Amino acid sequence: MSAVYDINRILIPDVPPDYEDHTADVNYVPAPCQVACPIGTDAPSYIGYIWEGKFEEAFEAITATNPFSSICGRVCDAPCEPACRRTDSDGPLQIRNLKRFVMDKLGSTYEPTPVKAIQSKTVAIVGSGPAGLTAAHELCDAGFEVHVYEMTDRLGGMMIWGIPAFRLPPGIIEEDIDRLLKRFPDLHIHLNTGLGKEISLDELKAKHDAVLLTIGSWWGKPMGIPGEEGNENVIDGVSFLRHVNAGERPTLPETVVVVGGGDVAMDACRAALRLPGCKNVKVIYRRGPDEIPARKIELGGAIEEGVEFIYFTQQVAVEEKNGKLSLKCAKTTLGEKGEDERLQPKIEEGSEHDIECGMVIAAVGQKGVCDDLAKHNLMNVDRVQTEWDTMRTKDAKVFAAGDGAFGGSTIVMAMHHGQRAAYYVKSFLNDIENPIPYRTPFRTRRVPVAQDIKWEKFSPHHPEFFGVGDDPVSFPEIEATYDWDTARNEAARCYRCDAETGSPDYSVAHREDIFSMARTNPADHMKLKSMLQKRLRTRTNPFPESRAPSLDDIVFLPANLSRLVIDPYREACKVTMNFAKKLELQHPFLVTGFDNEAQEIFEAMSQGCVISKTPYLGCKNPGKETSWLQLSSSLSEQTKNTAGYVYHLDKGEEPVALTPATDNQLVGLAVSTTSNLEKAITCSLENKHDILVLDGTGNLGDNWSELTTTPDFSILRDTIRILRKMKKEEMFELVYFGGVRSGTDAAKLIGLGANVVVMGVCVGLSMGGEINNENIVFSSNYSDTDRVQGLVNIVKANLGEASMMARCTGKTNLYNVEPEDLSAITEDTSKATGIPLPGKCA
Amino acid sequence: MVTIDLGKTSVREGNEKIRQCGKNGEDVEVINPDARHHIGVGLVHPITVKVKGSAGYFCAGLSDAARFEVESNVGWGVGDNMYSGSVVVGGNASAIPGVAIRGAEIVIRGNMGSRAGQVMKAGTLCCEGNANFMAGYMMYGGRIIIIGDSGVKVGEDMSAGEIFVAGKVENLGSDAELTDIDSAEIDDVMEFLERYKIPFKGSFQKVVNAGKKLRYATSEQQMRSIPFFSFSGASDYWNPKIQEDLYVKSQIGRYRIRGYGGARPLPHFSDIAFRKDLSLAGGDADVVSKVKMRTEIGGINGAQPLKLSMPVMIAPMSYGALSASTKRAIGLASTLSDIAENTGEGGMSDAQRGAAKQLIFQMLGGRLGWNIHDMNRADGLEIYISQGAKPGLGGQLMAKKVTPELAKIRGIPAGIDLRSPSRHPDILGADDLVIKIEELREATGYRLPVSIKLGAGRVRDDIKIAVKDGFDFVELDGMQGSTGAGSAEVIDYVGIPTLPAIIEALNALEEIGRRDDIQVVLMGGIRDGVDAVKALCLGADAIALGTSTIIAGGCIACMQCHVGQCVTGIATQDPEHEKRYEPEVEAQNIHRFLESVRWQIATIANELGYDDVTQFSRDDLVALTPEAAAMTGLPYEPQYGDADLDIKVRVAV
Repeated sequence: MSAVYDINRILIPDVPPDYEDHTADVNYVPAPCQVACPIGTDAPSYIGYIWEGKFEEAFEAITATNPFSSICGRVCDAPCEPACRRTDSDGPLQIRNLKRFVMDKLGSTYEPTPVKAIQSKTVAIVGSGPAGLTAAHELCDAGFEVHVYEMTDRLGGMMIWGIPAFRLPPGIIEEDIDRLLKRFPDLHIHLNTGLGKEISLDELKAKHDAVLLTIGSWWGKPMGIPGEEGNENVIDGVSFLRHVNAGERPTLPETVVVVGGGDVAMDACRAALRLPGCKNVKVIYRRGPDEIPARKIELGGAIEEGVEFIYFTQQVAVEEKNGKLSLKCAKTTLGEKGEDERLQPKIEEGSEHDIECGMVIAAVGQKGVCDDLAKHNLMNVDRVQTEWDTMRTKDAKVFAAGDGAFGGSTIVMAMHHGQRAAYYVKSFLNDIENPIPYRTPFRTRRVPVAQDIKWEKFSPHHPEFFGVGDDPVSFPEIEATYDWDTARNEAARCYRCDAETGSPDYSVAHREDIFSMARTNPADHMKLKSMLQKRLRTRTNPFPESRAPSLDDIVFLPANLSRLVIDPYREACKVTMNFAKKLELQHPFLVTGFDNEAQEIFEAMSQGCVISKTPYLGCKNPGKETSWLQLSSSLSEQTKNTAGYVYHLDKGEEPVALTPATDNQLVGLAVSTTSNLEKAITCSLENKHDILVLDGTGNLGDNWSELTTTPDFSILRDTIRILRKMKKEEMFELVYFGGVRSGTDAAKLIGLGANVVVMGVCVGLSMGGEINNENIVFSSNYSDTDRVQGLVNIVKANLGEASMMARCTGKTNLYNVEPEDLSAITEDTSKATGIPLPGKCA
Repeated sequence: MVTIDLGKTSVREGNEKIRQCGKNGEDVEVINPDARHHIGVGLVHPITVKVKGSAGYFCAGLSDAARFEVESNVGWGVGDNMYSGSVVVGGNASAIPGVAIRGAEIVIRGNMGSRAGQVMKAGTLCCEGNANFMAGYMMYGGRIIIIGDSGVKVGEDMSAGEIFVAGKVENLGSDAELTDIDSAEIDDVMEFLERYKIPFKGSFQKVVNAGKKLRYATSEQQMRSIPFFSFSGASDYWNPKIQEDLYVKSQIGRYRIRGYGGARPLPHFSDIAFRKDLSLAGGDADVVSKVKMRTEIGGINGAQPLKLSMPVMIAPMSYGALSASTKRAIGLASTLSDIAENTGEGGMSDAQRGAAKQLIFQMLGGRLGWNIHDMNRADGLEIYISQGAKPGLGGQLMAKKVTPELAKIRGIPAGIDLRSPSRHPDILGADDLVIKIEELREATGYRLPVSIKLGAGRVRDDIKIAVKDGFDFVELDGMQGSTGAGSAEVIDYVGIPTLPAIIEALNALEEIGRRDDIQVVLMGGIRDGVDAVKALCLGADAIALGTSTIIAGGCIACMQCHVGQCVTGIATQDPEHEKRYEPEVEAQNIHRFLESVRWQIATIANELGYDDVTQFSRDDLVALTPEAAAMTGLPYEPQYGDADLDIKVRVAV
């Protein structure tokens, strides 16, 4: 199982104090790519930012933990990519290329804010490779003065001496280093200062409060075969690359053999291929193509450029025959797994053969060498002896990290070493005796998921590959960077494993637990146990006491076996009604709230109402063709020839008797509080009013009053109770206003006793309105036609939803939905509506 | 010719004899049929069966290849789901003759009842007399010939196929229209009439689908799901989800469609906890061998039960909603973990059957993919009434997923937005259901358990009907259950949560003293062994896992199942996308997930002092919220909840 899914993903260890880490956020789990990155790069966030075109934000996310982002954009080993969940589907996100896209845009122009030293203690760092300079970055960031001692004349270590310019142009390295030096004015660089030559460990210890050794694996290991030593046509891989990277372009023999299958071998073979004189490069590797450790992209590049790979072949001796160099080799087969968990090659007897060549480059491993450290007994053969758990050497004041301490690895792993070592150095300098173990912190910038509808379809996009180019010896760069369109499409592909899902039962945290369970070996007891403990955790009540009763907390009871007999083979549902026997309605909706809107908005509303056959409830006359229920607080305003007249009672106002101005005019009171509800009901009954408008917002007639309060539908409950007590149900139509957002809400309110519902904000939003500070502002992106269509569509959609709900409950008439068709899922909503909870008490 | 006297032998024995004669190639004569139900069901050999008198419901149902001749009248559903072969009825036929036929020829010499040929896929239904209302209702293919009058609403909601009417077409059903007939078609009809010696000279009108409702007029704008952290709780009433819904609906004028489960929190298993402190649970690596977990489901009425290695099965999910590769992976995993898999709607493929050792075959109202041969190779039969995600409505499979291959197995036209019927043609009430169950049992020799899939709604009433109707077990699905596509509002607001569903079911059964007469398998948002044990404590006999197994097999919960181009190759029929899915690899992942569930169940049992999963008890649980307490009747003891809920714990192990 991949290390991404190890026990630390189940029970995440504590992060050291002072590190920003978001793993405690229940809506966030670090994505596999982020976990696989040794420095915890927040890749999902920068990918999200790229899609949004927010390059500066993406740059921040990239560089936050990575001082060598420009370099990594080109040559990072990118362990994030094989970890990418889309690898199992149609190929991983091209995370490294996306990083390069951002760095190519901003990497050279960014001006960092300087961070000065504020601590009195100073630290010496020996070696300026990725481990050393990353540690310097961390320690400077923590306010320490840092001195870097570098034996060559340039900063960068293997990044500058090991990687050929066709993969990493020199300007790119400078970009990162300049940024680092500009940011930390108290980072002092001492070039041409080798340990044991220009300066000694004792001097460093005397001058500084701590010493960090990041000396690297500077020297190539020999192949250990006869004929190798002293042969001027045999060179080790790192030395070869060092010469090339110093600017030398030696003429090579026609055929060059590279021994080894790692990244140094890849760079060496490809560099050799570009040098004058060289026509063939052969790489021999003692295992097969499935085992070769080189990164796929480097291997693929080498093959594409014409390097020949000879697998299952091991070098036996270097020989000179007839004045020509020849590498004697043998064929191998793979045997058992060795201590390093890799299949061990075995030489096939009698398979010896010669490979003629002019030069052998041995890329079979590297080593660190330092006499001064050996003298202090700090070396273990070819490495600085270092405790991984503390990054300490035998000397209490001396720490070590990187390849020189733990053997050859990648740039990004060396950077992790640098961060890790910096943490322990800081703890030491701050006199913290037993610091909690370091772990990579994980941050998220909570970037929205890319809204690209083709995200499922786009296949991985690889940038254009140039190979050796027209002038190989000048080492032109091998591949292009993305253009904006390509970068955006690639970014759209991201699953966004870090982001919340939208499903409460299968939230990102739940989903990742299930993923982990699916990647737990049944024999891995500790993982099983940790997961059980995690899964036993309960949750915060999603319905806290502060939650108001809500239509959200009412559900419909579907027709199943008990309701099969109700009209079993008709899918249709009746939605029309004869409103108080005076007005034919096509659906149970009225519109309100547009009285104070601009004329063109009001007119669009009015036209939408005509098309959708929806009456308007408001003070302002919507015009002749629209059915108007006039809302008014003054009896003298009652207009003739309207569909209806609604007198809005002020709080505490005595109800008044209403008389229709014409035979067909509906009349009724609008009540906004329960205080005068009973009187209003009595008055409505006595005077044979047609309707009663129940205002759940308390502010009917105000601008978008639904936005200022949570709707109170207890006014509907109380009305039904009063009427029931009086045995006067269905004597007039009940119109409810407040918080209707959907057809589902409408059907619930009908189930609770309303006959017709009024939509306000819901219609405003559908016509291109946007909520802004308890008001609705109409977007200028909408044409009048768009607005009209928006109203027509929302009426249609909500009607569809309402009738669907009725059908689910087994009803073929929307107005037959009853309280018995509903169930409440919270106690407060149950109380406010009188609808029982399901389960025990049902 | 073998004579079977139903005056002397039972229908069950009679049917066994008929099937035996089929194997022997002998024709049969049934005397004294006296309108008994299910005569000849399940016969799969090309013999002739002569029924000397009248037959009851489902005569010749669930059969293939035989020739039936019924002297007099037949009851409901003659030739139900018949593959090939023929039925000639001398008299009249009651409602739904030729329901769901898939190639058979059915001739009614008299008149026929309503909804003739409902959901038929292929074959010919011919009536010499008049048809009652809604002939060809929801038919997916094949041909109906009516020599007399058609009755009202002929061709109501038909998707495909043809209806030829020689008499009067009283009126057309919704989405049906009259069209021209070419002479070849007439020749073909006349050939049929001649073959069955039906004298006719005259002309026909032809009714076909008008094509207005097969596809949604406007397609919904696809969006990746935007998580709404604060959708519920103390969030704004007009929250971003509501705004997005309104925006989309105002563009399309229609309800939204979405896949997956609900987008809103509900009272759930996380709101109950174990009374015992389990913070040290898990010390015993070898706990699985110490707890008896084997569970038999479906055998209480004498059928061969499903033998589960733990009280867990796979929830019904269809090939259609899911790709064939995904169904294969789940099937393989169910075999590796020795539990049962379920076909869901839409038929059984050879691959599914081959992958799963134990497979329940599900029957829906559209009878998509339903047939006697797959029934015979199933390990259980399940009548779908509804599902937790969208109870009260039929299934939806968007056109993108209705590929030719899928259409073939389901017997429907390719490329339609398939909206399955919400009800069964032949189950209009509890009494019909009894007869339907009997038909399934008759057809398969009472060998297989027959279960019911029930979305949770009025569980208290529904479960009583289910037990009275004689089901062996119920798969009870709370509203947290997921779906491949459904109305977003229905997913979120119809049905009751899983937690109260099990309580209502068990209370109702206790009320009528019938708890032991049906087994209850609970599902709907059960995610792991912890949820499973809570369900078992509350009284479920077993639980089913759906979405969690899909996630274990690579689903990323993006909630875009309905789009049909699933990025992981799970919820898709697009070969380009499906090839992204590696069934063998994912089967291992799902298997490991199931084994992790097993370990969790065993560990909690062990920790509670039990050595058998049947010993779990309600007393092991407490409720942490007022709602959970009210719904379950468990004591409200919030102090058992975890204190710092929003901070992830770090437990030393």
